Amino acid sequence: MTAVIRVEGRRRSVLRRAWDYLASFDGLAKTAMWTLAVLFTAALLGRLFGLGGSPTAIVGPRLAPPSLAYPAGTDSLGRSLLPRLLEGVMTTLLLSAVAVLLTAVIATLCGIIAGYRGGRTGGLIMRVGDILYAFPAIVLAILVAAVVGPGYVAALCSIVLVTVPLMTRMVGQATRLVAQRDFITSAVISGVSTPVIMTRHVLRNISGTIAVQGTYALSVAILVEGGLSFLGYGVQLPGSSLGLLVQEGTLYMVKAPWLILLPGVILVLAILAINLIGDSLRDRFEPREARSLE
Amino acid sequence: MRHAFPLIGGLAAATLLLTGCTGEPAAGGDDAAAEVAPGFLAVADDSIASSGTFRAYLDYDTVEPNGLDPRTADTARSWTIMGLAYETLVNIDENFEFTPGLAESWDEVSPTEYVFHLRDDAVFSNGRPMTAEDVKGSIELLLETGSAWSLQLGPIESVEVTGDLEVTVKLSAPYTALLGALANTPAAILPVQEVRDGTVDLKTEMVGTGPFVPTAHVQDESWTFEQNPHYHGLDELGIDAVELEIVPDEANRLAAIRDGSAQYVFFNNADALDLLAGTPEAKVVNQQNTDFYYVILNSTNPDSPLADERVRFAVNAAIDRAQLSDLTLAGHGLATGVSPVSLPGACDPEELPSQQLSDEEITKLLADAGAENITLSLQTWNSESAPGKIAQVIQQQLEPFGVTVDIEIVDDASYGATFYGSEETAGADIGVSWYAGYGDAAMVSRWWNTEQAGFTARFMQGTPELNQLVVDASEEPAGEGRDATLTKLCAAVDEGAEQVPLMTRPGVIAYRDDLISPTINSNEGYGDIFRYVTDFRLKSEG
Repeated sequence: MTAVIRVEGRRRSVLRRAWDYLASFDGLAKTAMWTLAVLFTAALLGRLFGLGGSPTAIVGPRLAPPSLAYPAGTDSLGRSLLPRLLEGVMTTLLLSAVAVLLTAVIATLCGIIAGYRGGRTGGLIMRVGDILYAFPAIVLAILVAAVVGPGYVAALCSIVLVTVPLMTRMVGQATRLVAQRDFITSAVISGVSTPVIMTRHVLRNISGTIAVQGTYALSVAILVEGGLSFLGYGVQLPGSSLGLLVQEGTLYMVKAPWLILLPGVILVLAILAINLIGDSLRDRFEPREARSLE
Repeated sequence: MRHAFPLIGGLAAATLLLTGCTGEPAAGGDDAAAEVAPGFLAVADDSIASSGTFRAYLDYDTVEPNGLDPRTADTARSWTIMGLAYETLVNIDENFEFTPGLAESWDEVSPTEYVFHLRDDAVFSNGRPMTAEDVKGSIELLLETGSAWSLQLGPIESVEVTGDLEVTVKLSAPYTALLGALANTPAAILPVQEVRDGTVDLKTEMVGTGPFVPTAHVQDESWTFEQNPHYHGLDELGIDAVELEIVPDEANRLAAIRDGSAQYVFFNNADALDLLAGTPEAKVVNQQNTDFYYVILNSTNPDSPLADERVRFAVNAAIDRAQLSDLTLAGHGLATGVSPVSLPGACDPEELPSQQLSDEEITKLLADAGAENITLSLQTWNSESAPGKIAQVIQQQLEPFGVTVDIEIVDDASYGATFYGSEETAGADIGVSWYAGYGDAAMVSRWWNTEQAGFTARFMQGTPELNQLVVDASEEPAGEGRDATLTKLCAAVDEGAEQVPLMTRPGVIAYRDDLISPTINSNEGYGDIFRYVTDFRLKSEG
């Protein structure tokens, strides 16, 4: 009995600490988090419980404006836009999140090696990153899509290639700073192996940078996915993503503006929210680079 | 200062406001199909003293493996563009009757012999007058290619020059569609002497007797044509030059007609009729076509449920053509059998066997075939919006019958690789595409004859009976007997259900009423949106 109470107490404590941590963010960041949470929860409910109905079912007249029956209107095939929006939000967030996770793994690995080892290896990694960085993001994404063919894989690869260079550079810089500190020198003198130093000492001390860059990468990822799908290289019909929905709505901008406005606004909100969270994280982890003096 | 609620609230409110400021659901513009004269949606005002540049926006460019060679041109857009420079022996009018072209008249001596009398004032754009040898040589050059259109020419036995301006074509069997085949751009009359001696390369040059000569071409971007100074109807031309812009994006083409940067624009999307409703200077017409959408139901894969004819027939019957047309073509597509419904003598699509089945009978048919819960792969292509939409609606229509359809929408090349160009069974169970319907009710049905149309081998097996019906339809003279054969042919295609005709593929043409006075026929057989370009009159100099 005592053990159960202790475990529950510990859980409460963890939840409480998590809540306190989130509550410590500024109002802008909290609003952004709520926005993302609402978007994600709605998309999840749509996926799990069919909120808004089936995204593929033909349910009403074509191009019907928003109403009680069709809260977000219908599209050019008479499908309710709401479930397609929810599916689009889920696809965009999930695709971007998976891509950014991959980016984080690759960039962290490359950045730590480049920053810690330096020399030719570090130079080579950074130069490859520079070459990729030289391409405008959307041009690089189109190039990738042209090679691997339009679809989810193209979007994923494009996002990774677009976001890896900057994140690698930032992780490399942070690693170089950490590698010069005394506790790393002490660890080296004590005979601690390089992989252990990288994972236990360096990684732990650059986690803030990774988190901040990860959020920025996520907003870039959403933008790249949207751009690619808009241009027809990303998610393909009958799938749905925010970029694809915007693209579908373009033709009907005058006759049925909800088809472009709703996915467009959600896209803007998602990117705005993630950038605000990123700014707040940066203020927290890297106070010397804060934008304001408040 | 640091609260985002006002911003987010503002965005949401603006969205709701803007999305709420719309009227009723869009409806197709019925006026767009209204004729101003029998067979015409627009007739040029020939009283206008016209000169200047005609500017048109097209959806795609000529995309032919053999460049500008008209003999092997397979797409309607190539026929349209090349048709500005070339002419054919005969033309086709708004009622699908044949009219003089480079042949000012012809005699059908017997069902297997035609004598063409040529006009004496036709001159190629290089200045050399056209001769009977050019006509004989052009037909022979076309036959030498073995192209799809050479197949459409039918059983030609010989082509002989029988006078200074006379050519005789003999057939090994009657072939009613001969004039229909000779009326399309692949059968253009070429400067044969120059082609044979190598001074004209058909792949890179267009030297024809037509009204215009190309002077500039940037692939997939633009064309410029100027008047052919040797054209026999030069005095009647109301256009000095033609500028064609290739603009694949429909939204851009809509913008071009709205702001007047284009005088004449073609759309595949029937919604363009509604989308241009707010532009008073823009006239939008719905041109019916003999072209039609069809689905491939691949019978050649023994592991697929579609190997069973009962399943194919049930799938065919489960497709609701009326709903398909309403949702994907704004109701402007007409249900059709294999003889395009808009052509004289075509079969009645309402009488097709598949249209007589009730939902219960479809379900029973699938159950009898042991195909109660099946999954089929469907592939279509993405350079036009309609095939993808058709695929998505078909997916929904088949679902209540326990048929799950997995859709893949790919680029044109990938679609081609799935269904053509190899000996293996096609890589998908279902395909969605469209065929040109041409100018004779039997012409397109040749693509259902597996002995003649080898390109269907990856998804179609056919039957000897079906092949014979195709041959019979092409041999019989127009009349009740042929109509009856076409009805049988339609039924056989419908029951075999390996390539299932769905509905016609209307085109939408928009033009600026303040800039141009065009002639546009109500019903087109070869996708030629410039068929009457020599009649067009410009209201400003462009």
